[in-house]
Amino acid sequence: MTRNTPYGVLTLAVLALVVGPIGTAVFVLGFVYGDSPCVLCWAQRTGMVLIALVGLFVLRYGPRPRYVGLGVLIGAWGVFMGLRHSSLHLGRDVGQGFSVEIFGAHTYTWSMFIYWVCIVAMGVLLLMLRDGEATATPRQLRPIERLTMWLFLVAAAGNAVQAFASTGPPPYMGQGDPIRFSFTPANWVWSLEEWSPAPVSLRGRWGIAKPDIAGLESDPERGPLGTLPVLSEKRRIHLSMPFDGPVTDLAYDRTDDRFLITTEKGIYIADGTLSRVLRRTIVDTGFSVDLARFGGATFVERGTVMALSENKSYVILRESDRADAAKNFRFFLESFDEFDEVARSRLTTVRARMMYVLSVAFDPESGSFYTVTVPNAKVKRLVVSRFDRRDMTLSEEFTPALDSSTGLALAAGERSINEYYVAGAACEGGHLYALSAAFNTLVVIDPGGHRIAGAYAVPGLARPVGLAFKGTEAYILGEDRTVTVVEAPGLPLSRE
Amino acid sequence: MEFLNFLLICSAGFLVLRRPQRERLAFGLLVASTLLTVILFLIGTRTSILPGFNY
Repeated sequence: MTRNTPYGVLTLAVLALVVGPIGTAVFVLGFVYGDSPCVLCWAQRTGMVLIALVGLFVLRYGPRPRYVGLGVLIGAWGVFMGLRHSSLHLGRDVGQGFSVEIFGAHTYTWSMFIYWVCIVAMGVLLLMLRDGEATATPRQLRPIERLTMWLFLVAAAGNAVQAFASTGPPPYMGQGDPIRFSFTPANWVWSLEEWSPAPVSLRGRWGIAKPDIAGLESDPERGPLGTLPVLSEKRRIHLSMPFDGPVTDLAYDRTDDRFLITTEKGIYIADGTLSRVLRRTIVDTGFSVDLARFGGATFVERGTVMALSENKSYVILRESDRADAAKNFRFFLESFDEFDEVARSRLTTVRARMMYVLSVAFDPESGSFYTVTVPNAKVKRLVVSRFDRRDMTLSEEFTPALDSSTGLALAAGERSINEYYVAGAACEGGHLYALSAAFNTLVVIDPGGHRIAGAYAVPGLARPVGLAFKGTEAYILGEDRTVTVVEAPGLPLSRE
Repeated sequence: MEFLNFLLICSAGFLVLRRPQRERLAFGLLVASTLLTVILFLIGTRTSILPGFNY
């Protein structure tokens, strides 16, 4: 290998950058096809130009440490830019994206690959260098190196022309949705939209706080539906059973007269009087699927229970008196021989996406699970999602509508049922009952009609987390382990 | 601002090619352009600086 070999390789690398992504982008995509980069694309393209320029510095002055350091930094920043930009379109369907495709991939995704190749190429070139290669005086350029520099200047000048037409002189800058390139000044749009005030955030729309019922307004009278019929308290039961933490939900199994109670990690089956734990386990919520904190629970088939986490991940367990404790070590933290794990996975939603849930209900007649969202600072919608038991797949989603035939109406002002914060749910008589910890309201939802069939105030509840029906009574579990028993509402108001 | 950035880049490239003895100025322009690129990208992504992944 001669002394010029690394420079020859570097020259070819810079030429590839200049003729390839940099030159093609401006002269072919831009000037011929009218493609205009968005503000992020401009930064990605500029980064490639800068890496090529670093290469020219090395060709002229040798591989000085500051050139190599800056080249690696720009390359690393370029990979980040590519990730950041591509992530905008991660959730889209096949073929969807922004602007043009090249060989089946959109331009902003190519930049991630190109920057990565640049970093690899720099590493290879460094391996090829000898000690003391850096020079204090400028190198004499070979013709091919001089040609490369001229081509670089032409490509950079072309980009300057396109940048002037598409983005304008300072302080104008690139736009989120640029119009196509044109040489006609009348078609140029110079914008200051990127300078407009906007909240600075690290995670953007993904920065959603975990659900929390603390601090919610509890007075039903202040709810979005105003004054409602009241479900009066009949008695209270304090749960004296030992739990491993705060209770999070309640369900009832009429077949065997038993209750199901969950904590953040625990699953407990209690007798019909809520006085004795019959079976329990603590789930290893960190194994495989992140189960976070259980927020909902329901009986499924006989002897089978489901616990749903606030992030819509779930675990289904089957009761067993002969469970293999050694085999179950991976699934549970305690009580390894009382359940077998049937499934552990995640529910996928569309309308309810980006919202947490604190409830799940199972309707054995339709073989469906129901979840109801809780609002957060970024998304405020009450969405009911239905999942088919057979494949645990989303089968229907809707936002229940107010039905005027029920006599229900929104209170004065900018009110909405999206203000409800459903912390417990149960299916009974073909209806979905959703208990809101905000405004202590029991909302009756008609899943077939996608409507709210009734609503009842349940005053006096302290942070309700779970709901179950036993006979003609509704059991409401509070965070303080108190079960408030009220008369179950009559048949929901029918559509006249 | 992108136009300004390419003026900086063209100037640095010209110095490297035609005025190699002005290395310090050329490198200063290169660093300035790099910083401007980073700043412009951050302005464009300030409402969600990190990639939009499911963290």
